[in-house]
Amino acid sequence: MMNRIWGFMLLIGVVFSIINGKTAEFTDGLMSSCTQAVQFIISLAGIMAVWSGLMKIAEVSGLIEKVSNAVKPLISFLFPYEKNDKTIAMMIMSFMANIFGAGNSATIFSLKAMELLDKENPHPSYASDAMCMFMALSMSMIQLVPITVIKIRSDLGSSAPEDIILPSIIAGLISMIISVLVCKIFERKNKNA
Amino acid sequence: MPNLLSIFSVMFLPILITIIILYGIKKKTDIYDVFIEGAKEGLHTCIDILPFIIGIFIGIEALTSSGAMDFIEKAAAPVFNFFAIPEELISLIFLRPVSGSGSLVVAERIMEISGPDSLVGRAASVMVGSCETIFYVLALYFGVTSVKKMRHSFTAGLIGYIAGIFASVYICKIL
Repeated sequence: MMNRIWGFMLLIGVVFSIINGKTAEFTDGLMSSCTQAVQFIISLAGIMAVWSGLMKIAEVSGLIEKVSNAVKPLISFLFPYEKNDKTIAMMIMSFMANIFGAGNSATIFSLKAMELLDKENPHPSYASDAMCMFMALSMSMIQLVPITVIKIRSDLGSSAPEDIILPSIIAGLISMIISVLVCKIFERKNKNA
Repeated sequence: MPNLLSIFSVMFLPILITIIILYGIKKKTDIYDVFIEGAKEGLHTCIDILPFIIGIFIGIEALTSSGAMDFIEKAAAPVFNFFAIPEELISLIFLRPVSGSGSLVVAERIMEISGPDSLVGRAASVMVGSCETIFYVLALYFGVTSVKKMRHSFTAGLIGYIAGIFASVYICKIL
């Protein structure tokens, strides 16, 4: 899937840059975007190390197991076959970090969760149901206070910068419910097939 | 209400750190040694995902710098008109799935032109607040796995995203 999408993106880019006479911008853009990618990782590396370190403490001390046992009943609807404490804890941490607007930390927990789900996956080249559900939730997770947007709004002189909080949560919930439903429908369809 | 929510958001990380450290001490874990060990693993993960990030970044850049994105937006305009979604939002709707920072810039520009309290400005804010960078997430998260077929995760994410877009606009129209 990714092979085709990615190849397509680059080829479309080349074709359009020639049609629009933007080949110079295209070349510059590609060069600067690689640098941006490296800078992004460098900015992420510090937090990544800190969270991986802290989560390791939580794992070794047994905190993860404890938390995971507490939330297991809550997420059994979404992940009926998930038994591994560490995976459950990482997924929960990722959701919590998302909800509380700690975007970079959320990315790190999610990547850890995906690594663990990958190890548990009996058919490694096909995404498991749990992976799909986790992805669907990650792609639609709500954020309690979208701080960046509120900041932009108040900078631009909005009379009520925080008025978008409630609509954002409602819109986010709608998106989340629909994503979960789509996942569940596919899961059921595959089971019958 | 917003203030209470803000306090929760600001306090989330400090509280979490306190709990982890205190629990570690209580269970007599060698917290510093274990922290270093975990941090090392974290840095390895960073290096592992760097190639995927570079791949995603240049793919997106290819679409935006070549003007292909502008073309797609223009071509899709009638569809958005049909659903009564304001034209000003189209570029945000297309950019949001692939780029978090890029879509913030676009949202800011939309609010500058239309005003942050206009329908368009509010809808743009709600979109950024509720819709995720789905393609970016898909490419990055599956990057650390050995998965070749994404199965229904793509469809679920896309349908959820579209639902979020519609919800953002219509909720702002009602409220």
